[in-house]
Amino acid sequence: MKLSRIRIAQFRQFRDAIEIDGLAPGLNLFTGPNETGKSTIVTALRAAFFERYRSNSAEDFRPWGDGSAAPSVTLDFEHGGEQYQLLKSFLGKKRCELQISGAGGPVRRLDGAEAEDHLATLLGFQHANKGASKAEHWGIPGLLWMTQGTAQDVRESLTHATGYLRTVLGSAVSDVASSHGDDIIARVERARGELLTARSGKPTGRYLDALARRDQLTESATQVAAEIEEYRHKVDELARLQQAHEADQAQPPWLDARDQERAAARRLEDIQEIERTLGEQRVRVTQIEERATLLRAQLDGYAKDTRTADSRRAALAEARQAHEAAAALVTPWRGRLDETTRQHEAARLGAQRARLRERRAELDREHAALQANVQAATQSLASAQAEQTRQQDHERRAAALHITEQSLTALREQTRLQRELELRLSAIATRLEFDLDDGRTIEIDGRTVQGSGERQLAKATALTLPGVGRLTITPGGADLAALRRQADEAGERLASLLQGLDLASLDAAEARAREYKLALDEAKVAAATLKGRAPQGIDALRAQLARDEARLREVEQARVQLVQQGSDAEKQADASQLSTQEAESRLSALERSLKQIGADLHKAQLTAGDSQARVDAAQREHDAAQALLSAPGRAEKEKACQQSLDDTLAEAASARARVESLLAQVEQARPDILKQDLERYRRSAEQLEQAFHQRRDALMRLDVELQAAGARGLEERQAEIARDLAQARRHAQERTHRAEALDRLLTLLRDKRATLTAQLQAPLRQHLQRYVQLLFPQGSVDLDTDLMPGTLARAGTMGLESAAFDELSFGAREQLGVISRLAYADLLLEAGRPTLIILDDALVHSDDQRLAQMKRILFDAATRHQVLLFTCHPANWRDMGVVPRALEGLRTRG
Amino acid sequence: MLKILHTSDWQIGKLFGQFESDDAALLADARFQVVEGLAHLAREEQVDLVLVAGDVFDAQTVADRTIHRLFKAISAYAGPWIMIPGNHDAGLAESVWTRARRLGAVPENVTICLRSEALVLARPAVAILPAPMTQRNTYADLTEWFAGADTPAGLPRIGMAHGSVQGILAEGIDSTNPIAAGRAAQARLDYLALGDWHGARQIDDRTWYSGTPETDRFRANASGCALLVSLDGDAAPRVEMRSTGRYRWQSVVATLRVPGDVDNVINTLTSLTAQDVVTLEIDGQIDLDGHRRLLAAIEQARGTARGVLADLGDLRLAPTQDDIDALHADGYVGEVIAELRAAQEGPNAQGDEARIARDALALLAGMLA
Repeated sequence: MKLSRIRIAQFRQFRDAIEIDGLAPGLNLFTGPNETGKSTIVTALRAAFFERYRSNSAEDFRPWGDGSAAPSVTLDFEHGGEQYQLLKSFLGKKRCELQISGAGGPVRRLDGAEAEDHLATLLGFQHANKGASKAEHWGIPGLLWMTQGTAQDVRESLTHATGYLRTVLGSAVSDVASSHGDDIIARVERARGELLTARSGKPTGRYLDALARRDQLTESATQVAAEIEEYRHKVDELARLQQAHEADQAQPPWLDARDQERAAARRLEDIQEIERTLGEQRVRVTQIEERATLLRAQLDGYAKDTRTADSRRAALAEARQAHEAAAALVTPWRGRLDETTRQHEAARLGAQRARLRERRAELDREHAALQANVQAATQSLASAQAEQTRQQDHERRAAALHITEQSLTALREQTRLQRELELRLSAIATRLEFDLDDGRTIEIDGRTVQGSGERQLAKATALTLPGVGRLTITPGGADLAALRRQADEAGERLASLLQGLDLASLDAAEARAREYKLALDEAKVAAATLKGRAPQGIDALRAQLARDEARLREVEQARVQLVQQGSDAEKQADASQLSTQEAESRLSALERSLKQIGADLHKAQLTAGDSQARVDAAQREHDAAQALLSAPGRAEKEKACQQSLDDTLAEAASARARVESLLAQVEQARPDILKQDLERYRRSAEQLEQAFHQRRDALMRLDVELQAAGARGLEERQAEIARDLAQARRHAQERTHRAEALDRLLTLLRDKRATLTAQLQAPLRQHLQRYVQLLFPQGSVDLDTDLMPGTLARAGTMGLESAAFDELSFGAREQLGVISRLAYADLLLEAGRPTLIILDDALVHSDDQRLAQMKRILFDAATRHQVLLFTCHPANWRDMGVVPRALEGLRTRG
Repeated sequence: MLKILHTSDWQIGKLFGQFESDDAALLADARFQVVEGLAHLAREEQVDLVLVAGDVFDAQTVADRTIHRLFKAISAYAGPWIMIPGNHDAGLAESVWTRARRLGAVPENVTICLRSEALVLARPAVAILPAPMTQRNTYADLTEWFAGADTPAGLPRIGMAHGSVQGILAEGIDSTNPIAAGRAAQARLDYLALGDWHGARQIDDRTWYSGTPETDRFRANASGCALLVSLDGDAAPRVEMRSTGRYRWQSVVATLRVPGDVDNVINTLTSLTAQDVVTLEIDGQIDLDGHRRLLAAIEQARGTARGVLADLGDLRLAPTQDDIDALHADGYVGEVIAELRAAQEGPNAQGDEARIARDALALLAGMLA
């Protein structure tokens, strides 16, 4: 199919007609920016074929705002050697005319729906029954005419075209098709689906039930078999127990044990009898031995008596000897004591005398001293008394002269004050100087005055001038009067003071004060002297003197007495005059000596007494022992005793031998082991009996259990289960066989069908492969049963890479979309079907390299098919070897 | 003259799991019915004594009702029944016999010999020497004691045992429960009634296996009968074999080579009656039509016969060209048929693979038909 002319009028943006003429049979390139009408041309082409001329949906084609327009499309094209002219107009002028003129043949004209249907059959699409034509109606053109941005979406448009493509493929290889293959596949699938799941082929439905029943029964069978096994085991156990029980009942095994027990008991009793005898024998041996011991002791007693007598004799001799020795010591000690006593007496007298002498000498010394003392004391007393008298005199004088310092001071002060006042008075007093002619007298204040002199007038002074009269001079000023008064008062006070002291003047007072002091001093000197004479006072001195005199008298008396005594002692005195101390010392030494000797003597006497006592005791003991020895019949007794001992020892030996033999018997019989035997047999018997009873109980239990189990009809049940299991197995196996057969059948059918499909698709695959290898080095693409491109395999960086169509990038999908369409077109072309390829702004997502390849592919395709390529990127398509048609130009030309 | 009915191996309680459940139930029931039949036979023949030589029960722990039912089934004959335990119902410490006694199911005229000791009956006057099995299996000859057992003079000595007479089966079969050959003569028995083998068989003048009265397996032997034994003085016993069984068990083995072969098998199948129990073992090859017909005949036989077991495992389905043409299997379906045919043949066509291919082919053929 080759379009040669397109005329579009009153169609959307083409309000006026445009005409594209002289279309090339191969590639036609239309360029123009957006909105210049590229898509409108494509729409118009679609409208010409797909839309019924009567369709109301053609409203869409009307130019905007032109209500009366009649959109129309006129197409001239060639196909199969015939020229077609299609005129289709909508809305205002609803028409469809198709004119077909073959080479030299008659011209056919088809109108209206007939024309439309003819075209639909020819190109392979459908019309919509109602409303606007949709993608599902577009069939082959829908696949080959790629609108903007849909080139990558092969699947949908392919779905609507598959039927047409299949007819093309089918007619090509009709000889391998099966008349009812797909129907068989569907039935096998259904039948298989009843037994196996579609996806994983696992048992399902009745098959699964059958398997489940089989497995369940198998399990039951196993369980029952186990129960039966247990039952049988129990039956065997029962038999074993019964046998044992009966055997025991027939001949109870514990009876043996009891017999053995009794035998052991008897033997034990025997041995115990022997043991008893042994015990008695032992007691007897002990008794005999005791008797022997007693006899021996008795004999020992006799021997001991003899020994005692001997030793007593020796002891007596010894005691006597000792006594003699002790007694010999007493006499010398007594002599020495007498001697020492005499010496002591002499010493005592000597000492007494010495003491008398000493006393007298002492009294003499005291007497002399006392005499001296009395003499001195008498003198001292006399001088002290004299001194005391002196002191008293001075003190008396001092008392008469007594003036206190205070009084003196006051006197001195008063005198000074008076004098001072006088001076002041004289200083300020009216001085009355007179110089009287000899003999002349005047009276001043009543006193006659002569000569010269002066007076100080401190007060009104009456001056009587004899003969003349009387003058009264009154000193001026109050002060003088006051001062005069003060002076007077001071004079009065002084006078009063002096009067109080009974003195005439201050000087007298001073003299008296000096005298007083002197008297005091003298009194003090006298007192000090007195003190020296009699420090304790005169009375003490006097008392001392009195005492000394008394003592002197006593001493004198003692001397007298002593002299009388001394004269007595003096007679016996030996020449040596020992000092008292020597005499005393000697006396005490002798006393100690005397004491020591007395003690020694005493000791010696005691020893002698003691030894005497011993001698007496030894004598008594000796006598007693001797008496014992010489007792009548003693020797006979001793002899009998010895005889008795010999007999007893013989008896003991024989008794011991008997004990030995009994002991040997006992040891050999081992009563301890015999006891254990007894216990062992007893326990054995008990245990056997107990075991017997336990077994009897177990038997009863087992019997009951088995009865119960038997009543369950286990084996019959097993047989039933086995029967059911066999059936279930058969059923399961039948289904398994059926499932396997169906599975095999389905697999085979599908495989064969797939092989066939592959055969059918071979031409399409070939075409596709041709393009793919241009685009992708070593590339190859599968086709699925829907003829859809499947997995793309191609050389990659890691060797051969493969990816499903849907996993490819948008660009790659677009490219594959375009080339698969080209392949479909090739297939259609081979079947003699019309092909027209329209690409509206396709491949905009391809990179330069791919675009270059795609251009080679498109160019190649264009050698077989007419290709209308619309683009708004003219620069991309400059190297296609055709002159692009600019749509803007077309419009203006229209 | 002493007239005895000798039987054994009743196998009461046996279920026939290999068959469909309704068939199995009938076969199991038949074992009771045959016992009833034996009782009637004994009454009709006015025998003096019935000997049951072991395996009365198929198992020790059958249901109580089974025990009751068995002893009810023999009620038609009121004379003495002497039974010994066999290997299936051995007289163990606890056994089906002790249970039967406990249940009070054993009628007075039934004597169960659980001990190896002589049983002397007054009516009829006879001495029974039983060799009851008291273990499930034994390698000792339980009849050993017969020779040494004294019985009252003049009384017939009749032995009863359950096991295999030595020297009859092939060498090397280590049969349990042995019975010495010539035991009857050696133990001065007038008759030795044996059980265990399901087919009736004479061992010597005085020794017989009675076989089971109702066949229970496909092994071809003289089963399904009982023995009427007449003892008269020292003469050898007269033994009459009476058929008692209801069901005929047959084994059909066929190798299909030519189309006519399948017709023979089908004829056999169509001639089956309600008394038949059949096992089919068919191999060889068969065309589609023959296969269809064979399967149909088997299904039909299942309806009539009391049990049909069919083993077609080694049968190969080989559609003829006509078959394939008739199926109109063109295109890839035709290829599938060809491959399935091929899969049944050739050196690798073994076992499961061949079976699966055959089944798949049959299924496909069924769908295409």
